[in-house]
Amino acid sequence: MSNARILVVDDEPQIRRVMRTTLVAGGHTVRDVRNGEEALEELREEKFDLVLLDMNMPGIGGLETCRAIRSQSDIPIVILSIRNAEKDKVEALDAGADDYVTKPFSMPELLARIRASLRRATLAGPEATEVLNLGRTTINFAARRVTVDGNEIRLTPKEFDLLHYLANNPNVVLPHARLLQAVWGPDYGDEVEYLRVFINQLRKKIEHDPSNPEYLLTEPWVGYRLRVPKTG
Amino acid sequence: MKSALPRLVIKFLPTLGALALIGAITFFYFRMVAVNSVTVALTFLLAVLVAATRWGLVEALAASVVAVFCLNYFFLPPIRTLTIADPQNWAALLAFVVTAVIASHLSASAKKQAVESARRRREMERLYTLSRNLLLTGQGPLPQQIANEVAQVFELDAVAFLDRASNRIYHAGPRDIPLKDNQLHDAAVQGTVFHDTRANAVIMPISLGGRPIGSLGIQGASISEAAIHSLANLAAITLERARAQGIATRAEAARQSGELKSTLLDALAHEFKTPLTPIKAAVTSMLSDSSTSATHQELLRIVDEEADRLNVMLTDAIQMSRIEAGELQLHRSPHSVNLLVRAQLKRLAEQLEGREVTVEIAEDLPLVNVDQEFMGIVLWQLLNNAVRYTPPRSPLTLRARAEGSSVVVSLTDAGPGILESEQPEIFEKFYRGKRLRDRIPGTGVGLTIAREIVRAHGGRIWVESQPGQGSTFSFAVPRAAPQELPE
Repeated sequence: MSNARILVVDDEPQIRRVMRTTLVAGGHTVRDVRNGEEALEELREEKFDLVLLDMNMPGIGGLETCRAIRSQSDIPIVILSIRNAEKDKVEALDAGADDYVTKPFSMPELLARIRASLRRATLAGPEATEVLNLGRTTINFAARRVTVDGNEIRLTPKEFDLLHYLANNPNVVLPHARLLQAVWGPDYGDEVEYLRVFINQLRKKIEHDPSNPEYLLTEPWVGYRLRVPKTG
Repeated sequence: MKSALPRLVIKFLPTLGALALIGAITFFYFRMVAVNSVTVALTFLLAVLVAATRWGLVEALAASVVAVFCLNYFFLPPIRTLTIADPQNWAALLAFVVTAVIASHLSASAKKQAVESARRRREMERLYTLSRNLLLTGQGPLPQQIANEVAQVFELDAVAFLDRASNRIYHAGPRDIPLKDNQLHDAAVQGTVFHDTRANAVIMPISLGGRPIGSLGIQGASISEAAIHSLANLAAITLERARAQGIATRAEAARQSGELKSTLLDALAHEFKTPLTPIKAAVTSMLSDSSTSATHQELLRIVDEEADRLNVMLTDAIQMSRIEAGELQLHRSPHSVNLLVRAQLKRLAEQLEGREVTVEIAEDLPLVNVDQEFMGIVLWQLLNNAVRYTPPRSPLTLRARAEGSSVVVSLTDAGPGILESEQPEIFEKFYRGKRLRDRIPGTGVGLTIAREIVRAHGGRIWVESQPGQGSTFSFAVPRAAPQELPE
């Protein structure tokens, strides 16, 4: 998608300026706001395809804003932050971000990350299952709908793509790098913490006991595996 | 009333009492109740026993003699005569005397013990009071306070306390101590207790763990040897505790100042990264525009590279401040050296362009038990140093091998090498090689960061190099516990 509506949230005017200029030149439509409160307001009024969110802002801050957005919408959120410690990344992903880019960044790299966040993984192979039943959970891949005990639950696009990819390769150990490249894009591969966070989120949503998963299984140091019970 | 009586009367009052007791018994049996002589003798024996335990040997002996006399005169036939020839009298006298001696002795020693234990208890109480007071010391030099407390609690006439650390003598108490300064010094050095019986003074050495730290002279009280030793120990411990506390306080102050410095550095580095962000974004955006002229491309590349350099310096500063603030908390888990190395090579792909990079890592190399993020920093620092300090296009080789319970990772370059004299120093903070420091910019903390991280993992880092023949930087980190890997 090269023509996306992007909301830029940053308290630094020069960063908003450079983002606006380059993103518009790249064919996107851009709105920029100075803080989290304004961002939430903007998101209520208009529809966007992606949010570029600064972590360190006055007011409610990036993390809180991210949580607030995520509680209402599954719009892709890319966090921009000066901090590059792993715990900062994990915190942001836990708050519902889809990706985390460290400042300063090169523009081509950011554009690639934006493309990765906007893209829907094209995963449905010929043998892909349309509907998958995992105990109480039913996943309808064609309709991108997940229900637990008949109640629909919301997955973010990346969560859905991750689950979809695992479901297309049931009972097979999928290495970290392969999962990352399939769901985020070819530039990814080392961001193991992304998977840790997203698998945890998925477990909370579809597993009966998230700390003792039945279906989304960790293969230590290798990757993850979706256990799909054999149906008669 | 007692004090009004003449001294002599007071002294003999118990004797008189003992005699009065015998007289009363004699009167009672002779005049009021008629009993046989055996009963009388037994009653006298009881009286002697009472006198012995109540007053003492002299009084009991006096009572014995008078009792024998009374028994003989009033109760043994022929009555009202002293017929000492009767052997019954000797038997009675012997019984009374033996009773008097034994009972008075037992009573005296029991009394002595009671007095002694009362004195000990008092000493214990005083030592306890002293120790409690010394815990709550207030203003002024501590040795002075110790001297004051000792004088006050033990009600001493004079106290002198020699503190060898400050080489000063602190005095306390209402009088001047009749001791010379060099006596205090000698006692401290020789470590022996010195008694001056004429002046009723004692000097005790104060030492801790065999180290003489001073001496304490006291005058005007009889304190037991054991209490003197306790007193000396108490003084020693108080002084030592105060000193240890002082050291701890200074260390804490230094740590806090270091922490503040680190926090400031961290904040500053982050502040600098904020304006760097739009610079980097703008310049990379322009660079990706293929319509810019070659000249502009070159100029933009310079801006881009310098922005990167600034960024690296700031990142180094942030990492160094994190390490110095003690924030090196490792989250260790088993990792593949190969993957860790590949990740950093990917990050540095641009800078490594045109170089031949060989990675020789066996597939079956054991995993290492490290923090992925920090181990990445170590590898990045080593690779980045190699990129900066060796000629472009010169080859690099990365190797890893298992060695006992460790895995050794090494990076060999074909650079100018490092003088042997400089090799131990290059890991020190802000140290930069003499030959290159003017030509190649840098902060001089990269290898320090790498070393601190490796050390935090319980490993070590070192360099082997010969000028003109390249260098090999190696580090060893613990391997992960062997475990079955699920396929």
